[in-house]
Amino acid sequence: MATPPSKRQKREEYRRNLQNQYDAHQTPNVEVAEIKMPQKRFFRQRAHANPFSDHHLDYPISPAHMDWSSHYPAFLDPDTSKTTLGGARKLLKDVEVVDIGCGFGGLLVGLAPLLPETLMVGMEIRISVLEYVTSRIHALRMQQQKLKNAAIAGTGATSQDSNNTVEQPAIEDEVGNTTAVVPGNYENISGIRANTMKFLPNFFDQHQLSKIFVCFPDPHFKARKHKARIISESLNAEYAYALRPGGLMYTITDVEEYHHWVLRHFEYQSEEEKDRGGVKDLWERLTDEELAADPCVHVMSVETEESKKVSRNNGNKYVAVFRRKADPEWST
Amino acid sequence: MASFQHPFQCVKYTKQQPSGSAGLLVASAGRRLYSYSAVDGQCLDAWPKTVESSSEFASNDQAPAEKRRKISPAPDAQKEESKEKPSTKKASGNQLPEWTNIPILLTSSNGKHVVALTADDKCIRVFSLSEDGKLDEISSRAKRTMPKRPSALALTPDGQTILCADKFGDAYSLPLIPGEYTPRVEEAKAFKPAATNLTVHSQRNLQTLKNQITQFEKEAKKSSSKDSSTDENVASGFEHQLILGHVSLLTDLIAVSLPTDASVNRSYILTADRDEHIRVSRGLPQSHVIEKYCLGHTSFINKLCVPSWAPQYLISGGGDDFLLLWKWNEGKALQKVPLEGVSQESEISVRGIWAVSAEQSAGSPVQTILVGLEGSSTLLCYTIEEDTLKHQDTIQLSGNILDLAGLDSRGSIVISVDNIRESGSTEAWKSGPEVPQTLLEYFQVTTDQGSLKWNSAEDPLVANINAAGTSAIATDVDDKQKKALDGVLYSGGVLRKKQFGEDQ
Repeated sequence: MATPPSKRQKREEYRRNLQNQYDAHQTPNVEVAEIKMPQKRFFRQRAHANPFSDHHLDYPISPAHMDWSSHYPAFLDPDTSKTTLGGARKLLKDVEVVDIGCGFGGLLVGLAPLLPETLMVGMEIRISVLEYVTSRIHALRMQQQKLKNAAIAGTGATSQDSNNTVEQPAIEDEVGNTTAVVPGNYENISGIRANTMKFLPNFFDQHQLSKIFVCFPDPHFKARKHKARIISESLNAEYAYALRPGGLMYTITDVEEYHHWVLRHFEYQSEEEKDRGGVKDLWERLTDEELAADPCVHVMSVETEESKKVSRNNGNKYVAVFRRKADPEWST
Repeated sequence: MASFQHPFQCVKYTKQQPSGSAGLLVASAGRRLYSYSAVDGQCLDAWPKTVESSSEFASNDQAPAEKRRKISPAPDAQKEESKEKPSTKKASGNQLPEWTNIPILLTSSNGKHVVALTADDKCIRVFSLSEDGKLDEISSRAKRTMPKRPSALALTPDGQTILCADKFGDAYSLPLIPGEYTPRVEEAKAFKPAATNLTVHSQRNLQTLKNQITQFEKEAKKSSSKDSSTDENVASGFEHQLILGHVSLLTDLIAVSLPTDASVNRSYILTADRDEHIRVSRGLPQSHVIEKYCLGHTSFINKLCVPSWAPQYLISGGGDDFLLLWKWNEGKALQKVPLEGVSQESEISVRGIWAVSAEQSAGSPVQTILVGLEGSSTLLCYTIEEDTLKHQDTIQLSGNILDLAGLDSRGSIVISVDNIRESGSTEAWKSGPEVPQTLLEYFQVTTDQGSLKWNSAEDPLVANINAAGTSAIATDVDDKQKKALDGVLYSGGVLRKKQFGEDQ
């Protein structure tokens, strides 16, 4: 008697099918009947990763070596003679927005239509979770393509298409099903597996970024583990390196203590501390009015998977956004 | 049977600034620090003075200090130390120092101070060095024991501040001369767990949280005087400030002063880590401003060298089979210099990069870059010409290179070699010591129509030091102790990343 397939086998088969769906779509003139969004349950992974260990990671030697071409095919530079130091084709523009610890990619999907001409990347250390993000973005792009084709074919097709969607209720786990063409068609978002605590400068050049998001970071509750937190004095200097002056650092957490930790690491707590100086010279906090006016803050507070979970559990959300100031004058 | 003597782990040459005598050689071997006259190699002082009788010393030589560690770091950082075992013999009379070696040694540019790190107690010690070579430890009220094992020390260009990079990825600044220090008193806060039932949801986490709260309520009742959360900070009651950090193991740190167009000098701090990064930060007090990253290595970086006579260049090396020459303030790699074919070892690890400006009786000084590899008795020699490193004749030594000091005004270098292990090996011990043991070698530079050559030379300086020797290693060391001693001298290889399978 054949034993039922193990969890691992099921997962592998499921992922293979997804990949096949994507590959089939890449072949021209083959119309994929129905585009399935990936289901999270095949991509679950333990919520924590040790940022200090030598994971088997792929990272470029330097930003000039980074191959972004497969991530943003719609933004490829038509001039094939332009290549990176690694020999890959260049893009028309640089990646500007980073979601550090993007998880299942909810923020990216939420931001994509908001900033359709801005390239955004989610970085995640957990391998399965990142695979989910990649599949999700592929599926979204395919869906957009299909919707666009239908729109060109005529309004009748569109209505029929939307009818179809109504007829089959979306599986709860298949989040992010869209029925409308959105600006940017999700061509501007992608995900990368990376340990940003170690390798952020390998991906991004000085002042390349305009926004960095840190949403619901691993709180590392124990004091002994605080060194593993994604916000620290040392790392804030690296974020300041990658962000251009005027760029924004978004943080949100449901842990009040972490929120105070964030504030403590971006803002001076006393005049005496301010006189001593330090990395906090490089940051200023945005006012509540500024937050209210920023649509990204809204997306961050409601669209990410974690924020939905926090809402479900009636948790609190603490938002703090900091502007990267210009470098101070050299003290000689 | 004659016993091996401790080789010189570090050698530094220094000249007292205004007076300008012949200068002094300061060196560390085993657990001691020595100062020699650079003229005739006469030993002027040794520290600590309490370790006098060499026979007694030898029998207790392998007794390391007990590890005292408050929190458990990554296990690999302390492997080699834990290999050593406390000796069963007890010191009679004299109390032995609590460290087994002095891996880092610095001299201030004015020649008046020596900074040394004693390994096992992670303690940074500062000595005043008099013109006649007397070493006096400047005692501070609190021992300057660093929280994590330092991997590199440097002095700022003004010579007033010590910069310390450690194995935990942090860099600190400490005043050279410790002053009065009153630790900032932090208010003892009542403990409140960071997690709440709003942020943790699973059964197990909720249970843990509940236990935590009851536990702390109990402790709060018991005593309110002891604050467990801050004892990490209290442990170091001396002035030191975190200046920057990498999430990696820092391997080297240098402080550089670079002249700008406007004829002012800007100071920088360069840090290298195990994850192939070289970070260029502004000097104090703006070390939080990162100016550039120099990215190009594919393995750990071990050594950085910015020649004082060409401060726009940086030469870096480590686990790669090449060196990189940089215009570091632009983050631009100028040249990849292959190291292949110089070492029998399949895995190359750069031990040291030294910039020497050797003065000659006639003509301008000979400026060279010397590169030593771990466990290699061949010293590579380069000159910098038009943004490239040009290979020159290598120097062949009698043993593995350990350290090098340039006696610039004499146009010569002194090289410390490993007298214990076979040349080319970091672990194969010679069957017995040679008499006299070669601890130092002396080379003199000559130039002939543009090509330069280092010639081995006899000099009373090294002859007398070699004849006098250092402290002896016990003849009955077992393999484990040998291995521990190997680990002390050759630690570069442990930085290499192991290739794991795919992890989750």
